Amino acid sequence: MAVLVALWFLLTTLTGTIGGGRFPSPGEFWASLLQISGKGYAGATLLSHAWHSTTLVVMGFLVAIGTGVPLGLWMGWSRRAEALMNPIFLFIRPIPPLAWIPLAILWLGLGDAAKIMVIWFAAFVPSVINAFTGVRTIDRPVLEAAAMLGTPRWRLVQEVILPAALPMIFTGLRLSLQAAWTTLVAAELVGALVGVGFVLNVAQQDIYPGMILVGMVTVGVLGWATTWLLGHAERRALAWNVAAGA
Amino acid sequence: MGSIRFDKVDKVFGPKTGGMKVLEGIDLVIGEKEFVAIVGPSGCGKTTCLRMVAGFEAPSAGSVSVNGREITSPGPDRAVVFQQFALFPWKTVRENIDLGLRNKRLPRSERSDRIAGALKLMNLESHAEAFPHQLSGGMQQRVAIARAYVLDPEVLLMDEPFGALDAQTRVVMQEELVRLARRNPRTVLFITHAVEEAVYLADRVAIMTRRPGRIKEVLDVKPVRLAENWDRLARIEDVMDLESFVHLRTQIWRSLREEKGPHGV
Repeated sequence: MAVLVALWFLLTTLTGTIGGGRFPSPGEFWASLLQISGKGYAGATLLSHAWHSTTLVVMGFLVAIGTGVPLGLWMGWSRRAEALMNPIFLFIRPIPPLAWIPLAILWLGLGDAAKIMVIWFAAFVPSVINAFTGVRTIDRPVLEAAAMLGTPRWRLVQEVILPAALPMIFTGLRLSLQAAWTTLVAAELVGALVGVGFVLNVAQQDIYPGMILVGMVTVGVLGWATTWLLGHAERRALAWNVAAGA
Repeated sequence: MGSIRFDKVDKVFGPKTGGMKVLEGIDLVIGEKEFVAIVGPSGCGKTTCLRMVAGFEAPSAGSVSVNGREITSPGPDRAVVFQQFALFPWKTVRENIDLGLRNKRLPRSERSDRIAGALKLMNLESHAEAFPHQLSGGMQQRVAIARAYVLDPEVLLMDEPFGALDAQTRVVMQEELVRLARRNPRTVLFITHAVEEAVYLADRVAIMTRRPGRIKEVLDVKPVRLAENWDRLARIEDVMDLESFVHLRTQIWRSLREEKGPHGV
């Protein structure tokens, strides 16, 4: 990281290999960061832009996993559910989440609801697929042991299927979270009045490389922070798992 | 309580006609508190026999019943010990043993008494709060046996339970199972391909043919064991040295050998 920053300083400020206007120097970046943190940019401070984006990502992510994981579990468990849902799923899946943006804006306007919808669509798919795979790859003897012990259906789901699929489910959650961030920033680029993507959009129109970089770094930091939190939850939930515990 | 009956059982995998016939005309009755081992060449369908008693597979023809009730689904009256242990890795040893008891809706105090008994029986007391991955293979299989025994099942089904263990652990487990079975007799169906193990553990040994598997002969071990008083010897190697043991083992071995093709493969 330090090497990268030193290289950045070397290429821009010291040698001027990368000229101003194309890529900002550390100094310009710092000035932009101070500006947006203090008196604000694109209508708000960095903190409120970041807060707004994070809230939307978390909400969209929660809606997506709240619907996607149960659906994936159900499809994994029931061949009939798979037969019913899979064709719809296969049809919808190739449509890139960003292609839903025009429809979302048309239905729900430029507000938060449209963005949550788009995040939902994007983050939904990995949750479903991984929960589905998680159930399908449960060791057969483990299910047979549960049946042999006379485990009733609901307890089977709660205490056997869900925990057995949990490592795969978490893989899905991580992919869903990534998808949520990617999609949100794109959605804010297209139509928003606040948020990190909106900052990027305004900075592009202002031809303001320092601020563009601030926006990009912000997305990176927020994505990293939320992923870290998720990883923390995963380590706690999968403490029994050798692979995750190691 | 606790007798198993196979009545003219066939099993075909795949389509009814043109599928692979793995079992043909299995007739076998395992009496109350009797320990029967099935040995046979690999692929002969011996595990399928056990799986039908467990309720994991249905016979293609004939019937399998326990206490006169035909088996339709798995249940805690027929506890299974699997070769690959099949423990719940996210549950502690205690929780693994507890699940079957909770499913029976037993009161908490009775559950903890029975778990304590099962832990003691299998020498697991100091590992009650451990997760399976923290235990050796032998210890994991002890947990699986405790999980089965604690249910006080009518029949106990053991599918090559020591097949995944190293040689030393295997011997210790065999000796423990003998002690357990003599002190606390159950109806046991034990699947193995290890002839010594079958002779050492079982009251009777059923020998199967190659696929499609049939029961070729059933050897009575118990009268010999009682007459020669094997149980006075604590160690399996001492029992295996006895002439009476060697004789039975060789008899089964010959019988199996005939099933293994012209070159003994």
